[in-house]
Amino acid sequence: MPPKKFTWYNGIGLTLALIFALFPVFWMVSTSFKPSNEWVKQPPVWISGNATVENYLTILWPSVLLEKRGGLTQYTEEGEQKVAETTGVGGAVGDILIKSAWQAIWGSIIISVFATALSIIVGLMAALSISRYRFGGNTTPFFILSGRMFPPIAIAIPFVVMFSDVGATDTYWGLILAYAAVTVPFSTWMLKSFIDDLPKEIEEAAMMDGLSRWMAHVKITIPLIKGGIIATTLFILILNWSEFLFALILTYTKVATIPVQLAKYFSATEGALYGVQAALATVSIVPLVIIGFFIQKHLVRGLTLGAIKR
Amino acid sequence: MAIKLELIKLRKEYGSLIAVDDVSLQVEEGETMALLGPSGCGKSTTLNMIVGLELPTSGDILIDGQSVAKTPVGRRNVGLVFQDYAVFTHMTVRQNIEYGLRVRKVARAEMNKQVDKIASFVGLGDKLRRKPAELSASELQRVAIGRTLVTNPQILLLDEPLSNLEAEMRHQMRRELHRIQLETKQTIIYVTHDQIEALSLAHRIAVMNLGVLQQYDTAYNVYHYPRSTFVGSFLGNPPMNFITGVVKSNGGQRYLDQNGAIIPLPPSKPLTAVPDGKSVKVGIRAETVDVVPAGAQGAFSAELLAVEPQGPEAVITAKFGGGTIKFVVPTSAVPKSTGHVSLVPHANLLALFDAESGVRLMNGAGS
Repeated sequence: MPPKKFTWYNGIGLTLALIFALFPVFWMVSTSFKPSNEWVKQPPVWISGNATVENYLTILWPSVLLEKRGGLTQYTEEGEQKVAETTGVGGAVGDILIKSAWQAIWGSIIISVFATALSIIVGLMAALSISRYRFGGNTTPFFILSGRMFPPIAIAIPFVVMFSDVGATDTYWGLILAYAAVTVPFSTWMLKSFIDDLPKEIEEAAMMDGLSRWMAHVKITIPLIKGGIIATTLFILILNWSEFLFALILTYTKVATIPVQLAKYFSATEGALYGVQAALATVSIVPLVIIGFFIQKHLVRGLTLGAIKR
Repeated sequence: MAIKLELIKLRKEYGSLIAVDDVSLQVEEGETMALLGPSGCGKSTTLNMIVGLELPTSGDILIDGQSVAKTPVGRRNVGLVFQDYAVFTHMTVRQNIEYGLRVRKVARAEMNKQVDKIASFVGLGDKLRRKPAELSASELQRVAIGRTLVTNPQILLLDEPLSNLEAEMRHQMRRELHRIQLETKQTIIYVTHDQIEALSLAHRIAVMNLGVLQQYDTAYNVYHYPRSTFVGSFLGNPPMNFITGVVKSNGGQRYLDQNGAIIPLPPSKPLTAVPDGKSVKVGIRAETVDVVPAGAQGAFSAELLAVEPQGPEAVITAKFGGGTIKFVVPTSAVPKSTGHVSLVPHANLLALFDAESGVRLMNGAGS
C-alpha cells in the first residue's frame, strides 16, 4: 500500500486519539511526582509546582525517606531496632513505609519471565502438533480454550484448593505454573494461526534436503514465524505482568507481584496513596516500554502476519 | 536405456478413498515423464510417494532397481520442486540454493563452487544476495529449481511448475525447462494438469483419472491413439469428438447410425472385428478431418453452426445427430456459405470406443 499523504484532518484525528490514549499515562506520571496534598486536589493540579521524588523513595528506598524526615530504621550494633518516628508520604506508617516494593518488582520479573517462557514453549509445541499433525482432531484445540470460557474467579477458587494441598501457594514456582496454565491457551492459538499461515511445503522442502521433521521445524518453521513468536511473547508477558487475581489469592507474604503490591499502598487514615501507587505503576511500565521499543518492528510484522499473503 | 524408476502396483488409500489405485509404470533413464490428469486424480499423491513425503498403502517403488518404499524422505536422492516454490523466505538466494549441500555438510569451498555453477545455470548468477521477497515469480521458480538441482538428484520431480506463472512467463519457463532437460539429461517426472506442457516437454505421458492410470505411452501415441474416451477428451483443444451410435452394414460399406445421422466407417482393421448392431462411440480428433465436396467417397455431412477463424486455421462447429462437433480445418477449406459441410475423417486416426465403458475397442498403431 503506498503511503497516504498527511493531511490536516487526519493529523487532528491522530492528535485527538493520542491525547485520549495517553492521558491516563500522563496523569499517572504526573501524579507520581506530586506531594500528597495535591493528589486529589480540586481543581486538579496538572503538573505539580512542588514536584517531589518522595513517592519513588517510598517504594524504592524508604529508609532514605525516613532518615530525611528524622525517623530511623537502622539497626544498632546491639541488634536493637529503632522504630520509625515520623509518618511517611500521605501518613503511611509501619509495614508499608519500611518495606520497599523491591520484593514485588523482583517477584513480577521472575514470575513473568519464567511463566512467559514456559507458556511460549508449551504453546509452540501444542500449536505445531495441532496445526501440522492435527493432534487431537477438531476438538482438542477448543478444549484447550475451555479454561478461558469461565470468569477467572471461577477457576481461581479450585486453584487455591489444589495449590494449598500441594504446598504451592506463596511460592514462585506455584505462581509460575498457574500463570503458564492460564496463558497457554492464548499462546497456543496465536502461534497456531502463524503456523497455519505458513505452507507446509516449506518444511517438506527442507525435509527433501535431508532434515528430519523435527529439525525442519527448528530450522525452518520457527525462524519463519519469528515475528509471530515475538509478538505472542510480548502479549503473554503483558498478561502475566499485569495479572492481579491469581497473584492476590495465591500469595501471602513470601511472594509478591507489582499489581498486588499496588493494592497494598493504602493507608488507614488517608485512603489510597495515589502518588505512591502512581510511582510504582510508572516504574512497572518502564520494562515493557523498553521491550516494546526494541521489538516494535517485529510487533507490527507479527500482528499483521496473518493478514499478509505472499 | 536402463530403467530409472519403477512403480509396482503402487496404492494409496485414505480411509475408504482410493487416491492411487495400483499404478504400475516404468521410467527410463534420461527420459521426461509427465503425470497428467485433472486435479484430484492422484498425480500429486503419486509424486509424494515417490519422494517419500507420503507412504504407500501397498506396492513398491524402485529406483535403479532398489526398493526405496521404506527409505525416509530426504535419503532417496530425488529432488522435488514444489508448486508454490517453497523457497525459504528468511534466507538469501545463495543460502536457499546451498541449503541442501549444507545439510549434507559439504565443504564451504566446494559448496560455493557448486552454488555459483547452478546459479548461473538457472540464470540467477547476479541475484545471489537477494532475498526472495525481492524476486519475481519466475525467479522464485528458478531458485526452487536451482536448490533442487544443486544436490544432483537421481530424479528431478516437478509439481505443476508453471501453474503459478503468467502466460508470457510460462512460455519462457517452458523453454527454460526444455533447456535444463537437454543440458542435464536428468530423468524428470513432471506433474501437470496442462496437456500442452505435457505434450511439449514429455517423452512419455501417464494419464491418470480418479486414481487410475488410464494410459501410459509416448506423447505421440497418447495423443493420437487414446485408449479411452477420457484420454481422448482430456488431451486436445478442442477435445476429441465422440459420436455415439450403432454399427450397421449396407452392402460392403459399414457405417455408424445415430438416429438416422450417418458416418461411413473406413474399412480399416479396428472396425472389422466389431459386429453389426453394437453400440459404439466414434472418436475423431478435431484436426483429423478433410473438408470435401458434397457426396465424396467416405464423407459424412453435418450442419454448419459457427466458424471461428484463427489465422491459418478455423474452428468450425457443426450439428450432427443430437449433438455438436468441433473441428479444426485450414481457413481456406471453410465453406463460403452456411448450410451443410461434408467431412472425411482420416481413416487411420479414427477410433472406436465401447459406448458404455469408454474403453477403446481395438488398439490402433499405438500398441
